[in-house]
Amino acid sequence: MKLLRGQPPIVKVLTGLLLAGLFLLPTVVSSPTLMQILILVIFYAYLTSSWNFVGGFAGVLPLGHAAFVGIGAYTSTLLYLTFGLSPWFGMLAGGLLAALIGVIIGLPTLKLRGAYFALATIAVGEGLRVLVENVEQVGPFAVRGPKGLLINLVPHAPLSVFQFQGKAPYYYIILIMLLAVLYLTQRMMNSKIGYYLAAGGEEPEAAEALGIKVSRYKLIAMAISCFLTALGGTFYAQMFLYFNPKSIMGIDLSYEIAFIALIGGRGTILGPVLGALLLRPVSELTRIYLSASLPGLHLVIYGLILIVVMRYQPKGLVAPVKQLFERHIIPYFDKRRAKNGAPAEETD
Amino acid sequence: MLSIVESLLNGILMGSIYGLTAVGLTLIFGVMKVINFAHGSILMVGMFAAYWFVKLTGMNPYLALVVVVPFLFCFGYMLQGYVIKPIFDAEKDVREPITVIIVTTGIWYVLDNLAMILFGAEYRVVHTAISGKMFEFHDMYFLWPKLIGAGITLLCGVYLFWFLKHSKLGKAIRATSLDREAATLMGIKQSQVYNIAFGLGSACCGVAACVLVPFYYVYPTVGVSFDLKAFVIVVLGGLGSIPGAILGGIIIGIIETVGAQFMAATWTELLIYAFFLAVLFVKPSGLFGLRQDY
Repeated sequence: MKLLRGQPPIVKVLTGLLLAGLFLLPTVVSSPTLMQILILVIFYAYLTSSWNFVGGFAGVLPLGHAAFVGIGAYTSTLLYLTFGLSPWFGMLAGGLLAALIGVIIGLPTLKLRGAYFALATIAVGEGLRVLVENVEQVGPFAVRGPKGLLINLVPHAPLSVFQFQGKAPYYYIILIMLLAVLYLTQRMMNSKIGYYLAAGGEEPEAAEALGIKVSRYKLIAMAISCFLTALGGTFYAQMFLYFNPKSIMGIDLSYEIAFIALIGGRGTILGPVLGALLLRPVSELTRIYLSASLPGLHLVIYGLILIVVMRYQPKGLVAPVKQLFERHIIPYFDKRRAKNGAPAEETD
Repeated sequence: MLSIVESLLNGILMGSIYGLTAVGLTLIFGVMKVINFAHGSILMVGMFAAYWFVKLTGMNPYLALVVVVPFLFCFGYMLQGYVIKPIFDAEKDVREPITVIIVTTGIWYVLDNLAMILFGAEYRVVHTAISGKMFEFHDMYFLWPKLIGAGITLLCGVYLFWFLKHSKLGKAIRATSLDREAATLMGIKQSQVYNIAFGLGSACCGVAACVLVPFYYVYPTVGVSFDLKAFVIVVLGGLGSIPGAILGGIIIGIIETVGAQFMAATWTELLIYAFFLAVLFVKPSGLFGLRQDY
């Protein structure tokens, strides 16, 4: 609750209610389809929040993050399939590998102008996808090229196998992952690194002149971002038990992550969550109900939403929501409380 | 040996068509400092326009140039004037115009998927009088449409270069790309120049689209691979440099076709990205670029 100190009581109450609601949700929702959509919304919010570390705070536009989702999924799954290593450990290994690759890519590219960085990340992302698609076998690992990897279903799986009956456990895992990432984002924003990045994102020369090694902090942000993104990749692999390079490392996923962040509001804590909440259901519902008659409609809607939001709310949709809260809802409850004469700290 | 020379020459032919799409991209970047992610989609629009023109009128595909190129010029002009301009203006003084980049991505998504809804995902071909005709030279074979296409695109590239160098409008465009404020002070109307640059960039796609149609498939996502190649080419040649874009295009074309002689075609794609990254890391200003800020 340290994070909420200093916030108005109504925000504390709402946050508490929201969290309680999120944790109780699986007991109410019985439809697996709806559960799946909820999990995917949270999964995309998680990926976008991870992207946010570099795309939101370091002031550059990475457009190849699907590569790191793929690195996470492939590392943990290959280790599991070849050596029987628990995907929980594989997840960490994938994260570390992704962070390492992220640093290697970031070292030369983070110094370049934004446009070059965006293009370089696309090239790296697409290059890695093509590489994986062309490789059948590396040493003991059967990568299987474009066919992708299939994880065999283990009946009555122990916890170490990262497989569960039903959707609820996956829901809780990804929810906890999202909350952890949001907490980390909040901590970073209010830390030295966060301030340095904010300074370096807008005026790199000025920040450098003040003695801030901007590119070093950008690299740290990149490493964190890649690490977290790769954890999401392992989650995806264990949830669907099947993936291929196109589905998990494709350029579409990279763009979708960036779209969600920009529509929600990049460089904010809740922007990615808001963006995922808004866009994922659109894409899931149009995919379920309209994909037969109108393929690609959800992408047209994505594009249009993006253009309209960038036109009228270039800071993302989180800005007007925040404004609504600060201007209307909080004063309204403050006034009511003052009228009832309630003691200020009672709701704590 | 002969087959290598043959694929080398074929690479040059295909590469000069890549080069012209990249010229459009580099022109837009040079003036606006915005990477147009919708560039491949504009090419796709041009290819569908040329496809329907040939299909419905049955005329020579190269006559489509007369219709498709002005159409795409207007298309690009209006796209910039009505969709991109308001967002661009809001971000004009920002060093890294990220919002505009992402908006062009939005345009790409809308155009490609609208085409998917309207025309379906199938691959279309037009049968013209010269489709599939071969030109034989010392036991080497070249597709006639590729030869004609490369000729037309090279001519257009040279003309555009001359136009920018010597015409009054071209000088205004170059002045704007060098220094926006100074150009405005000299009485050049910035927004007009941006619209025209975007229109010209799109018109380059129109030329490429018309010469591609006689020997290339038309489908809604045809632009994506051209788009990615164009990005690689412009960075290779130096962002903003027109001769660099044409030479970069030819280099990529050669890597693609000559590489395919030694390895599976899917590996050549990787080779292109690797080459691109190597250039970016070693010499970000590109092979022929001027020293700019990058």
